[in-house]
Amino acid sequence: MFSRRDFIKQGLLPVFAGSAVPSIFANGVAAAAADAPQATNGRILVLVQLAGGNDGLNTLIPFQDGAYHDARPTLRQDTGVLTLNNQLGLHPNLKGLKASWDAGQLAIVQGVGYPSPNLSHFASMSIWETASVQGGIGDGWLGRYLNYLDNVGESPNHALEGVSAGSLVPPELRSKTPVTALQSLQSFRLQPINEHGTQVDVENPLMKFYGAFKTAGPAPFGALLDTTLQQALQASHALQSTDATYQSMATYPAKSAIASSLKLVAETIVSGLGVRVAHVTLGGFDNHAREKPAHDKLLLDLDQALAAFMQDLAGHGYGDKVLVMTWSEFGRRVKENGSAGTDHGTAAPMFLLGAPVKGGLYGEQPSLANLDNGNLKFTTDFRSVYASVLQGYLNAPASDLLGGNYEILPLLKA
Amino acid sequence: MDDAPVVTPAAPPRKPIWKRPVSRRAVLATGAAGAAATALAVLWKGNDLSQILDHVRDLTHGYQGALSSERVRIAHLLRRAGFGATKAELDRYAAMGTTAATQSLLNYQQTSNAALEAQLPTIDPANANNARLVGAIQGWWLQRMAQTERPLEEKMTLFWHGLLTSGLDKAGPAQLFTQNQLFRTTALGNFDDLLKAVSKDPAMMVYLDTETNRKGKPNENYARELMELFTTGIGHYTEDDVRESARAFTGWTLSGAKQLRYTTQSLFVPRLYDAGQKTFMGKTGNFTGDDIVEKLVPLRATAERLSARLFTFFAYGNPEAEIVHHLADTFQNSRYNVGAVVREIFTMDAFYSDKAYRALVKSPAELVAQTLKVTGADAKGFIAAANAMAPMGQVLFYPPNVAGWPSGSSWINSSTLLTRINFANAATRRVAAPLPAQSVDQLTATLVDGNVTTNTREGLQAFAAAHPGDQAGLLFMGLATPEFQLN
Repeated sequence: MFSRRDFIKQGLLPVFAGSAVPSIFANGVAAAAADAPQATNGRILVLVQLAGGNDGLNTLIPFQDGAYHDARPTLRQDTGVLTLNNQLGLHPNLKGLKASWDAGQLAIVQGVGYPSPNLSHFASMSIWETASVQGGIGDGWLGRYLNYLDNVGESPNHALEGVSAGSLVPPELRSKTPVTALQSLQSFRLQPINEHGTQVDVENPLMKFYGAFKTAGPAPFGALLDTTLQQALQASHALQSTDATYQSMATYPAKSAIASSLKLVAETIVSGLGVRVAHVTLGGFDNHAREKPAHDKLLLDLDQALAAFMQDLAGHGYGDKVLVMTWSEFGRRVKENGSAGTDHGTAAPMFLLGAPVKGGLYGEQPSLANLDNGNLKFTTDFRSVYASVLQGYLNAPASDLLGGNYEILPLLKA
Repeated sequence: MDDAPVVTPAAPPRKPIWKRPVSRRAVLATGAAGAAATALAVLWKGNDLSQILDHVRDLTHGYQGALSSERVRIAHLLRRAGFGATKAELDRYAAMGTTAATQSLLNYQQTSNAALEAQLPTIDPANANNARLVGAIQGWWLQRMAQTERPLEEKMTLFWHGLLTSGLDKAGPAQLFTQNQLFRTTALGNFDDLLKAVSKDPAMMVYLDTETNRKGKPNENYARELMELFTTGIGHYTEDDVRESARAFTGWTLSGAKQLRYTTQSLFVPRLYDAGQKTFMGKTGNFTGDDIVEKLVPLRATAERLSARLFTFFAYGNPEAEIVHHLADTFQNSRYNVGAVVREIFTMDAFYSDKAYRALVKSPAELVAQTLKVTGADAKGFIAAANAMAPMGQVLFYPPNVAGWPSGSSWINSSTLLTRINFANAATRRVAAPLPAQSVDQLTATLVDGNVTTNTREGLQAFAAAHPGDQAGLLFMGLATPEFQLN
């Protein structure tokens, strides 16, 4: 007798009488089990969004520049800067990233931004998420990458190739390809009914309710509910079958949301189900007032979580397969405001972390003497960084996916 | 634009679109209005009309005519103006008829809420250090949503919380509790009054940093979001307008600011106010924050943005430009009265059109409140249910960022859908009193207007047949249907 899970593993689950097996099931886990990507070579990109606008000048610090100290009378980092060269250093709380730098596994692109910067959080996020200076609600730039994998037959075509930690699917991953939002592996399952101590399975009735809702329910949400339930059950079964085997190979900081998110992503990656792109968010960077204690804490939290994540992945043999990239919708105003904080700004550094990178500084540090309305002038277009990752790491056609040609930076090993 | 000029034959004058059921044809046929609608659409969304029409086309579904039944209209109205209904509530409002029910919902100040007030736990904001205050106010609000006799009052309070956002990540629970009362008392009032009050509201002052905005040390945070998110939207102001209006909002601070998160009183301190000249939107003067609000609220962009937001909240997304235009006129002609706009929405044929039926996804607040209406809960149950909303993507008093919660399809992904279904399971197991025996038809009549797909009906019947006597299980199945996820 086959168990229900066996059916699902083989893509043979009879969803309900009279219906074809949805392709998402048929191709999904069976393909994932075979999981033999070609061009992607099993490579995984993990995006870390620093939401709210990270203060780039207090992250990669031009500690020798008098203008920095003048502009930041209360916010400047006077001591403990982790020097990278005789001009620039990392915030004192970024000790893990400094260790990666020393090991040649941290690339920093300086002064990243785009023309005519938008100082609205949401407009600027949308620009970064869609890789289009028009912004808008179209597919995300990594959603387009997932679609590309589909189109060239490289996609494992199951619900876990794109994952995000949290309750929402981030706009970067938006496309027709399903993406799974994960909050915990334990909760990512359908609970049975407890009928006087007897566990009653509810999957079959729910599959029946939802299975024809794509066509019988109202558009556009009928299709959304139908495919989402199927995707959820498929991903849930795949994850439950591996859940028990994961042991973290690092100690993640306790009581840290970003650490929990990264641990969840690590667990999903090492379960070998074919994750291609993952997304986590650390919020709280919109420090208009009393920035220093808040920002110091955020960077410490980020650094410790990333250090544990990289150690965990390396311990599971995924060190060579994972690239981490940070981004934020903008940096902050050069001159601090009257609230010991900073208002919305423009260009800021991006960090690329992991064995695949060629460590070092890239691009050009923006001048503090030559500002635009008090804001930094960007020196590298963020789409150039995206193009470098798409082409140099994910072996994807960057120009097609970004709708233009951008300079490829030698950030990554071949 | 590929809209060919339409030659209008001599015919009786058409009713305007907001007085007709909206169909794709109706939108396509608005020949003369088409150009204006297109221009408006471009202004509003940056989309061209063909995209909007494609969207209209996408919204046809298998429930044509569902809202021709008065009982279904009442159920639809109670889902939108409130948090759904029990069978008893549905019976009561249905007996009134649609017109009287709508009046009753809108004129809620004439309805006593004494029964609810007697049920609610006492919240003592003075006891603001209480770590349990967060859970207490979340449970308190959820209980209001589930048990109020004035559903629209709570629904509007939720609307304002999602638009004029403040959150527990910066402000304290006593401050958010105070702000929540402000939203409730001014729910259907004039928008300029509300914005003036919100500008001085302690939760907002902490959340968007006006409490640190001082003469000579301006902080742009509130000024920017006031324009970008609360009034005109992006594209109607300059960075200079942001900088100058930030100066106008100086002077207001919090009393007893040593414990910033615990202060529920704000005050004006003249020496902190920048009394200098400010140039805002082409005018120069010694503007205060109230002056800035008075310049922003009359702008057409504000009227259209708020109107579209209200219509999207109550009826369906991406409203036709013509509808937005009409509601914006209503707003401006009523001296910025929000109640007038809401009244107009509930009396539009578009509100009862096929396009509007099940055109929204239940937000976690709507889903949980309606579930608790059906299952009942005690005070602890409300707090637990408020906690259970977090993995669905909505924590009361804690919006994800200043833009509030995204709506529609954003509520549904693999993780949130499993959570919604598991919540229904847990909630139906918590029911204290034995549930009355009911048939599948009775169950679906209360929960989903009796309008379910063949698959859903057969699935429920099969469950009922296989599990006779498990009323809680059957209720859970009803709450887990895809139909119930929609509003």
